Amino acid sequence: MAIVETRDLKRHFDKVLAVDGVNIATEEGEFVVLLGPSGSGKSTLLRMIAGLEHPTAGDILIDGQRVNHLPPRARKISMVFQSYALYPHMTAYKNIGFPLKAEGLDTATRDKKIRWAAGLLGISHLLDRKPRQLSGGERQRVALARALVRDPAVFLLDEPLSNLDAKLRAMARDELKQFQREIGTTTIYVTHDQVEAMGMGDRVAVLYNGKLRQFGTPHELYEDPADTFVATFLGSPPMNIIERDGRLVGFRPEDFLPKVVWEDKEDLVTYDFHVTRTEYLGADQYIYGIVNTDVGETKIVSRMPSMVTVPIEAGSQYDFAVQGHHQVYFDKQSGKRIEYEKV
Amino acid sequence: MAITYDRNTQIEQQSLLDNERVLGSVMLLPAIVYIVALVGLPFFLAIGYSLSDITVGDPSLDFVGFSTFRAVINDGTFQRSLLNTFVFTVVSQLIVIIAANMLALALNKNFRGKWLIRFLLLLPWATPIALGTIGWLWVLDSVFSPIDWLLTQANILGPGGAFGPSAHAYWLGKPTLAMISVITVHVWRLIPLATVILMAGLTAIPQDIRDAVAVDGVGFWREFFEVTLPLLTPIMAVATLFGVIFTFTDMAVVFVLTRGGPVSSTQVLSSWAYFKGIEGGNLAQGAAIALFLLPVLVAVVIAMLRLARRSEVL
Amino acid sequence: MKQSKILRPGLSRRQFLQSVGGLAALLALPRETVFRRPTRQLSGTLRILQWSHFVPRYDEWFDEFAVAWGNEVGVEVIVDHVGLTDLVPRTVAEINAGEGHDLIEHIAPVPQFEPSVISLNDLNAEAVNRFGDRVGLSTRASFNPVTDNFHSYCHGWVPDVGDYRKSLWAEVGKEDGPATWQDLIDFGAPIRDDLGVQMGIGMSNEIDSNMAARALIWSFGGSVQDEDANVTINSPETVAAVAFMKELFEKAMTPEVFSWQAASNNQLLIAGQASYILNSISAYRSAQQVNPEVADDIFFTPALTGPDGIGLASEHVIYNYIVPTHAENPDAAMEFLLHLTENYDQAVFNSELYNFPSYFSTTPDLLEGENWVGDDPFGSNPPDKLAVLGTAEEWSTVVGHPGPANAAVGEVFATFILPEMMAKAARGDLTPEEAVAEAEERIIPIFEKWRDEGLI
Ligand SMILES: Nc1ncnc2c1ncn2[C@@H]1O[C@H](COP(=O)(O)OP(=O)(O)OP(=O)(O)O)[C@@H](O)[C@H]1O
Ligand SMILES: [Mg+2]
Repeated sequence: MAIVETRDLKRHFDKVLAVDGVNIATEEGEFVVLLGPSGSGKSTLLRMIAGLEHPTAGDILIDGQRVNHLPPRARKISMVFQSYALYPHMTAYKNIGFPLKAEGLDTATRDKKIRWAAGLLGISHLLDRKPRQLSGGERQRVALARALVRDPAVFLLDEPLSNLDAKLRAMARDELKQFQREIGTTTIYVTHDQVEAMGMGDRVAVLYNGKLRQFGTPHELYEDPADTFVATFLGSPPMNIIERDGRLVGFRPEDFLPKVVWEDKEDLVTYDFHVTRTEYLGADQYIYGIVNTDVGETKIVSRMPSMVTVPIEAGSQYDFAVQGHHQVYFDKQSGKRIEYEKV
Repeated sequence: MAITYDRNTQIEQQSLLDNERVLGSVMLLPAIVYIVALVGLPFFLAIGYSLSDITVGDPSLDFVGFSTFRAVINDGTFQRSLLNTFVFTVVSQLIVIIAANMLALALNKNFRGKWLIRFLLLLPWATPIALGTIGWLWVLDSVFSPIDWLLTQANILGPGGAFGPSAHAYWLGKPTLAMISVITVHVWRLIPLATVILMAGLTAIPQDIRDAVAVDGVGFWREFFEVTLPLLTPIMAVATLFGVIFTFTDMAVVFVLTRGGPVSSTQVLSSWAYFKGIEGGNLAQGAAIALFLLPVLVAVVIAMLRLARRSEVL
Repeated sequence: MKQSKILRPGLSRRQFLQSVGGLAALLALPRETVFRRPTRQLSGTLRILQWSHFVPRYDEWFDEFAVAWGNEVGVEVIVDHVGLTDLVPRTVAEINAGEGHDLIEHIAPVPQFEPSVISLNDLNAEAVNRFGDRVGLSTRASFNPVTDNFHSYCHGWVPDVGDYRKSLWAEVGKEDGPATWQDLIDFGAPIRDDLGVQMGIGMSNEIDSNMAARALIWSFGGSVQDEDANVTINSPETVAAVAFMKELFEKAMTPEVFSWQAASNNQLLIAGQASYILNSISAYRSAQQVNPEVADDIFFTPALTGPDGIGLASEHVIYNYIVPTHAENPDAAMEFLLHLTENYDQAVFNSELYNFPSYFSTTPDLLEGENWVGDDPFGSNPPDKLAVLGTAEEWSTVVGHPGPANAAVGEVFATFILPEMMAKAARGDLTPEEAVAEAEERIIPIFEKWRDEGLI
C-alpha cells in the first residue's frame, strides 16, 4: 500500500497554478525526491502533503486514508524546513522535545526519546545550546532530530541541505541517505539540485510549471526521459537536442564522441561537427560546436573522457558519431517522447 | 626613509577621517547635544528649582535645601498623586499588553474588511491626545453619557436596574469610576501603538516557525505562550517601554478629564506638579514633584533595555 | 438677540446711526471713542497678550480699538489672544525667558508675579485721578498692602450671579428664586426629587466650584484669611458652611457635581438640567443663542445670604493687566490702559454686559438713567431681568476676602483645597470638622511659604 498518495492534486494561487494535477504514490520506506526548477511547485506540493496548504482540488492519502481535512499534527508526518525553523529561544534539547510535549508524553519518556534521537544524529553534546550557538550543519541535525523523535509515517524535507556549503552538503547528502535507509521511514525530499536528486532518490518526480513531467528511478529518468524538459533538466551538460527528419533527436554529450573512438562499432550516426571551443575539466573535456540540422546550425556539446586522447582543435571540423540506440526521439510539437519510425 | 615618512602621514590623515571612534563621536554629537538640551538641562534645572525658593514671579534661585521636598512629601495630595501615577501606569499597561496581544493575533489573520478594522484601530493614535480626551469627556459625561444611556436601555442603570435607580453612573464623579475612566482612556490611547508594534513583531516571526509549530502539533495556547510570546518579548518590551513613558508622564488625560478630581482621587504627579508649580505659582514645589518622575523613568528604561537585550533571540 | 444681530461687533455709534437711524437704539449704545493726548512721548511697538474673551465680539472690538489707539498715538499695537488655560503658563514662560509681551491680561488676581512685574502705583493713582473712585474689590485684586504696591491694573470685573430657572422654582412655590442658602435646600430638594432637576453648585477641581465654596463660607461668616493674611479657615462658621454643603449635596444634588469642568454648569443650565447655578451671565448669554426657551426661563439672584443675613459672592472674573519687568514699552502699556478705562463703556457693551468697570464713572449707561441692566440691549425677555446686576458691587468681593487677593490665596485656589474640602465632607470621607481641619493643615504651609517670600 502506498504510504503517501496524491490524486489529481491542484493548487491555485490567484492566477497561478502552482500544482497542476499531480499524481504520485510512494511505497513503504521509499526515498522520493521532488525535483524541479525554482517555482515549479515542489514546496507547494510538499506543504499540501504536510497539511500546511489546502489543495484547490484533488486528494491526499496517507496510509490509505484521505487526509485532506486533517491538520498537520494529525497526519503522522514530520517535516524539516529549508531554514530548519528551530525555535530560537529554546535549547536544542527543548527544540527536539517540543513535538513530544505537544503529544503529552511525560518528562522521562521525552528525555529518553530526545537522547535517542540526539545520539543517532551525533549531537548529544550540543543539547544545551541554543540554535544561534550552532553551526549550519548542527542546526540541520537538530531539525532532523526534532522530526525524528515523533516516529512519523513520513518524513517531509524541503531543501534541507541548501543552507550548507558545497562540501558539507555532499557529506550531509550521504549521511542523510544512509540514515534514511537505517530507520526506513518513507521520505519525500524536495530539491532543485539534480545531483542530489539522482544521488539520493529511489525515485524522482520531476515537476515543471506545477505539472508532473516524469516519475521514475534516476536511471529511468536519465536513460528514458519522458520529454525534452526532463531530458534537458537532468545531466550535465544536458542532453543535446537537434531537429532532424521532422522530429527532435536527443543524445547525451557523453555518447557523442569522435568517430574514430567508436572504431568499428555498428549502428553509428555520424555528424559533421564544427568545433568552436573546448573546455578542459580534469576527468572530462567538453567540446562545444555546431552541427547542421533541418533548421540550420545547432549548437551541441560532447563530453569526452580525458582518457580519450584524440586531439581536437577549436576552429576545425571533425566527424563525431553517436550510436543509434543511444538516440531518443521527441515529437516536434509537444516535446513528448516518441518511438523512432522510418518515414 | 622619505618615502616611508610620506606614507605614514598619508595613513595618519586617512585614519583621522576613517577612525571609527572619531567618526562615531562626530556622528553622535547631534544626539548628545539633543539629549543634553532636552533632557539634561531641564533635569538639572528642576533639581536647582527644587532646592531653591523659586516662584513663578521670582526666578532667582535662593538655596533652601530639602525643605521643599519635605513640604511636598507631607502633602496628602502628593502621596495620592504618586500612588495614582503608578496605579494608572501599571494597570493600563497590563491591560494594553493583554489587549494588544489579542488584537494583534486577531488582526494578523486574514479576513474581509481587515484594512477597515486596522484603520479604525489606528485612529486613537492619530488623534491628538487632548482632542481624544475631550471626546471621552462627552462619553463619560455625568448627564449626557451615551454609556449611561446604553446601560439604562439594558436595564443595568435606571429605576429597577441592577445598579439603579439612578440613570447615571457618574463616571467622573466617583473616585473609583474616575480612576477606571482615566485608565480606560490611557488604554484606549495606547492600544493602537502597542498593537501595531506587536503586529510588526508577529509578522517578523518567520512563516517556517509557524509551520513548524503546526507540524509539531501544538495547540493555540501552547503556541502562544511557548513560541509566540517568547519571540515577541523583545518587541513587547519596546511597546511597554513606550507605553510606560507615555502613561507615567502624561498629564493631558487627567488634566482634561478630571483635573485630578473628584477630591484628588485621580491626581497624578505631572498634573499635580502643574497645578502646584505653574497655576499655584510655587515653581520650586512643582519642580520637586516632577522630579519624582525621574528615578522611575530611568529605572524603567534601564530595565526594559536589559530585558530587550537578554531576550534578543533571533 | 434681535438687536445684537443688527449691531455688528465694533460698530461705532456714528456708523450705527447711519445704518439704522433708530432713536431708541441711541440710548443703548456706548459713546464714541475719546482720545486723550498721552502725557508721555510714545513710539515703538506695544505687544499685548490678551485673554480670548467668552464673547467673541469683545475680541473683535478690542483688536480694532487697540490698533486705532496705536494709530492715533504713533505706536504699533500687536494683540495676541490665548485661551484661559494658557494664560498662566504662557506668562510663566515669558517671565522665565525674560522676554515677551509688554502687557498681559489675566482674568484672576496674579499677585504671584509681583517680583517680576513693574509697579503700577502711578498708573493706578492717575486712573483714580481721572476716573474717580475705584471699586474696592478691584483694589484688593491688584494691590499688595505688605509691599504697598500695585502689581497689576484692574480695569474690570465680572459679577457671579445666581442663575435660576423660574418655572421650576415657581412650581415649588418660590417664584422669585432663592434668596438664602437655606432656600437651596428647602426648595432645591423638591425640585430634584419631584421635578428631576438638580442644583448646580460644583465641588470639583475647577473655577466655579472654587468660587461657590468661597461664597458659601463668606455668607456663613467664615473666611480663608483675615485682612492681614492670617489663616482663619478653621472656624465654626466654616464648619457650618461645610456641613451645609453636605446637606445641600445630599438633598438637592447628585455626584456629578464632583466631576464638573468649568463649563459643566453652563451646559447643564443651557440644556435645562439645572435649577440653580452660580456663574457669570455667560451661561445665560449662551442659552439665548442655543436654547432661547430656557433662556427666557432663566432669572437672576444676587448673592445668597447665610444664617446671619450676610450675602457675598466672589467676582467671577477679575481683569488684571500686568506689565512684566522685561516689557520694552511700559509707557505705551500704561497709556493704553488709561485709554481703555476712559472708554470702558465700549468694553462693557461689547462684552454684552459681561464686563463690569472698576471705575463706574466711565460707564454711566450701565446703571444710570435708561440703564443697560434695566433694559438689556442684547435681547433679554423680559428686558429688565439683568437689573439684579445693578447691586452687584454691594454683594461682590474678591477671592481673599476680607483680605487682599494675595499669592497664598492664589495657590490655595489653584490647588483646589476648598472644593476638595467641601467634596470630602459631602461624600462622607471626612466629617465637616475633619475636612476643615485638613484644609487648614494644607493651607498653613502655603501661607508660610509666601510669607517667607515677603509677598504677604
Ligand atoms: N502563498 C503563495 N501565494 C501566491 N503564490 C504562491 C504562494 N506560494 C507559492 N506561490 C507560487 O506558486 C508557484 C510554486 O511555488 P513553490 O514555492 O511551490 O515553488 P518551488 O518549486 O518550491 O520553488 P523553489 O525551488 O524556489 O522553492 C510559484 O509561482 C510561486 O510564486
Ligand atoms: Mg520551495
